[in-house]
Amino acid sequence: MPDLAFVLNERPVEIEVAPHALLVDVLRDHLGHTGTKVGCGTGECGACTVLLDGRPVNSCLVLAVRVGGRRVVTIEGLAADGGLHPLQQAFMDHGAVQCGYCTPGMILSAKALLDTCPAPSEAEIREGMAGNLCRCTGYAKIVQAIGAVAHALACSSRTASPGA
Amino acid sequence: MEFAVVGKRIPRHDAVSHVTGRTLYGVDIVRPRMLHARILRSPHAHARIVAVDVSRASRLPGVCAITAADVPCNRYGFTHVDQPVLADDRVRHRGDAVAAVAAPTPERADEALQAIKVEYEPLPAIFDPIAALGPDAPRVHGDTNVAARVNIRYGDIERGWQESHEIIEETFRTQMVEHCHLEPHAALAELDSRGVLTVHASVQRPFLIAADLSKILGLPMNRIRVIAAAVGGGFGGKNEITMEPIVCLLALKAGRPVKAVYSREEEFQATTVRHPYIITCRTGLKREGALVARQVSILSDTGAYVSWGAWTLSKASIHAAGPYNIPHVKTEGVLVYTNNCVGGAMRGFGVPQVAFAYESHTDTLAEAVGLDPVEFRLKNMMKDGCVLPTGQVLDKVTLQQTVVRAVGLARPEEDRTP
Amino acid sequence: MKRRGRGIACMLYPVGATSYPNPGSAFVKVNPDGTAVVFAGATDVGQGSTTVLAQIAAEALGVEFAAITMVTADTEHTPYDFGSVASRVTYVVGNAVRQAAHQAKQVFLAAAAEVLKLDVSGLDSAAGWVYAKGFPERRLPVAEAAARAYALSGRPPLGASTFNAATTFLDPETGHGKPYPCYVFATQIAEVEVDTETGEVVVVSIAAAHDCGRAVNPLLVEGQIEGGIAQGLGYGLLEEMVLEEGKVKNDQLVDYVIPTMCDMPEMRLAIVEEPEPTGPYGAKGIGEPSLLPTAPAILNAIYDAVGVRIRELPATPGKILAALQDMRVPSERGPS
Repeated sequence: MPDLAFVLNERPVEIEVAPHALLVDVLRDHLGHTGTKVGCGTGECGACTVLLDGRPVNSCLVLAVRVGGRRVVTIEGLAADGGLHPLQQAFMDHGAVQCGYCTPGMILSAKALLDTCPAPSEAEIREGMAGNLCRCTGYAKIVQAIGAVAHALACSSRTASPGA
Repeated sequence: MEFAVVGKRIPRHDAVSHVTGRTLYGVDIVRPRMLHARILRSPHAHARIVAVDVSRASRLPGVCAITAADVPCNRYGFTHVDQPVLADDRVRHRGDAVAAVAAPTPERADEALQAIKVEYEPLPAIFDPIAALGPDAPRVHGDTNVAARVNIRYGDIERGWQESHEIIEETFRTQMVEHCHLEPHAALAELDSRGVLTVHASVQRPFLIAADLSKILGLPMNRIRVIAAAVGGGFGGKNEITMEPIVCLLALKAGRPVKAVYSREEEFQATTVRHPYIITCRTGLKREGALVARQVSILSDTGAYVSWGAWTLSKASIHAAGPYNIPHVKTEGVLVYTNNCVGGAMRGFGVPQVAFAYESHTDTLAEAVGLDPVEFRLKNMMKDGCVLPTGQVLDKVTLQQTVVRAVGLARPEEDRTP
Repeated sequence: MKRRGRGIACMLYPVGATSYPNPGSAFVKVNPDGTAVVFAGATDVGQGSTTVLAQIAAEALGVEFAAITMVTADTEHTPYDFGSVASRVTYVVGNAVRQAAHQAKQVFLAAAAEVLKLDVSGLDSAAGWVYAKGFPERRLPVAEAAARAYALSGRPPLGASTFNAATTFLDPETGHGKPYPCYVFATQIAEVEVDTETGEVVVVSIAAAHDCGRAVNPLLVEGQIEGGIAQGLGYGLLEEMVLEEGKVKNDQLVDYVIPTMCDMPEMRLAIVEEPEPTGPYGAKGIGEPSLLPTAPAILNAIYDAVGVRIRELPATPGKILAALQDMRVPSERGPS
């Protein structure tokens, strides 16, 4: 079995994996990162979303060997200091969580969205997040939570650089 | 009265655990030495089982296999005890489980499943609920496909027709849908250090699951513990046992923890669905639009087993006339077996089907008497003291308030008083 | 051409059931520091029932929300519950929790009565304090009262209760009886835009007004309504299992389509609070009813927009186009 070395949540990981092993299974079954969920196994629901070099991917469609030398972020590693990322806090405060099963993937997709599009319109949020399914919430509070974080980020960057 | 905690917009108690990915759902629970279960399902919608041979599968290293012969009490159900854990005499739909295996790896379990031989004798199947009522239709159970009937009568329907100036009839059909909770069904069974069979299950009713397991396995209730600590959505889809008895039997046979997780295909094919209904509404009105009489007939396709079919039909029948004040009501519901997917509980429990029918029908009636849909509803809707077709008297009826509020929200820019 | 229309749908729906027994139960244990553990058999499947039960326990004990720990859905460690079904948990289990908390509270109130030199009937608790009714300055922390109950009275504050709305079995001939303890009511109004070329429907907005009795947690009530609307929209327009000889042909989420974020309309909500005397703090329920009016409101809006009445769910573009076609046929023939 090939050795796989990659960076998981800012820490180097070395592990033996089968050539056909999927990233989601390696994360969940071998590394105990069960925050990454499986809803469909076919890349439709987005529950298994992780960030690969900062971009969101369905980890149920990614062969584990493909992440060699790359950086993977799961929900467990989103907030570096053990605290909460602003998106995690906003999802809580806005009631954007019900059963919570889609939540890790939803939050990571939202992180990737805001990284590339810091001030999205509501339509951009909805389009950018359409690959993540939720059966509980009707999405309204998820859209609000993401919008609130985007707004707060915009305000803080204005405060930080008043000349900009 | 002002409350300190009640009425407050407090985030969920488990929100931190959910947003950080720390919540352990049924699918996330693992144990050392745990085996992975897989279930063999019928390739036929209706067939006689001639023979099931798991000997080759059982010889694979580390594999444990079970068939119906391993199930101490192989029938369960609430109103109708008609459903097997593992099919014995016949398979009655494509989701029926015939055998199951547990193996050290999922790959080995898949291999073991392939090694099971089942001999079937295909039987004529019935898929259309109307045809299933016919005298020559293949029978799914016993000598009739009618599994249950529900009758509700209020007032005198014949008098109602006589007093009506206009009678309008419409027929509606609803489709089969799936709950699609994102977390699939999952269960892990293990014997704890006291010898208590402990089942971590993604279910809505742990106490029902425990009671059913006790009967199926022939174990006293104090030797069974069911835990449903975190569930990734249910919507009625996790209202009954699915693979719990299977993982329990495999765990007892293998002497090791056994876990199963349904694939999305199994969620669609093998778990319960919302019943498709055929609903005919026939309503008599006065010339000025007052409702006088309503007869509703419902045909519900429960598929291969009753599950919650009789209860859903009852709730649907009770509410089939809608939130309207109608002096004469008659509802007849029929639940029919077919070889389709099994109908069960789903959010609304039969009422979304009839609500679609009665509210579509209400607009047709309003138009027939030349009234605006809002006006027609306000004229006929239930108020305090009104009586449902069951004889239940209603109080605190806020229907009119909800209409006023919804109308206001729908057109916030306009001043609209209904 | 795109045409807009509006449709309304109303509903009533029962909370819990009385045509069969469906008890819910709870144990409450107040710790010596005034925090408490509530044991209830009800399962939180995402709807938020555990949070609601914790709020009811906190209110009944007169402690902060954060002082409550919930233990749920374990057939060995929690008392019996019928299940998270029939929109019953807030109403049924909420009543059981409230009663059990009330029992436990009487124990620490009695311990406080000795300190405050007042009769226990003159005491109540709120926000972590036991106080004299009418004289809120005469008070004692719940933590101190609870500690005294353990250490001096030798009576840990405990409570155990069951709630089951009185059962009346229905007459098998007529179906008569009182099958439900209480009802909730709702109206939804959908605005849609129908493309007459493609038959596609865009739901522009849903206005939803729902009575749930007292809203124990409006944030969660809104979530239930919004989620119900999404499922109702899927039911009305998108979802259908296609079977061929009993085999599900669309058994993946790629071909069985549930609403995505892009399918969801603007939702405007109103919670109509009419407290129910038999509910815990007036609460009834909201879980199931929220999806009931959505599909018919959308289909009535389609009729309002383009004049076609779809009587078979879901209202797919194909069915709408076919119905539009049928409508045009007579006019194409011209006046006869």
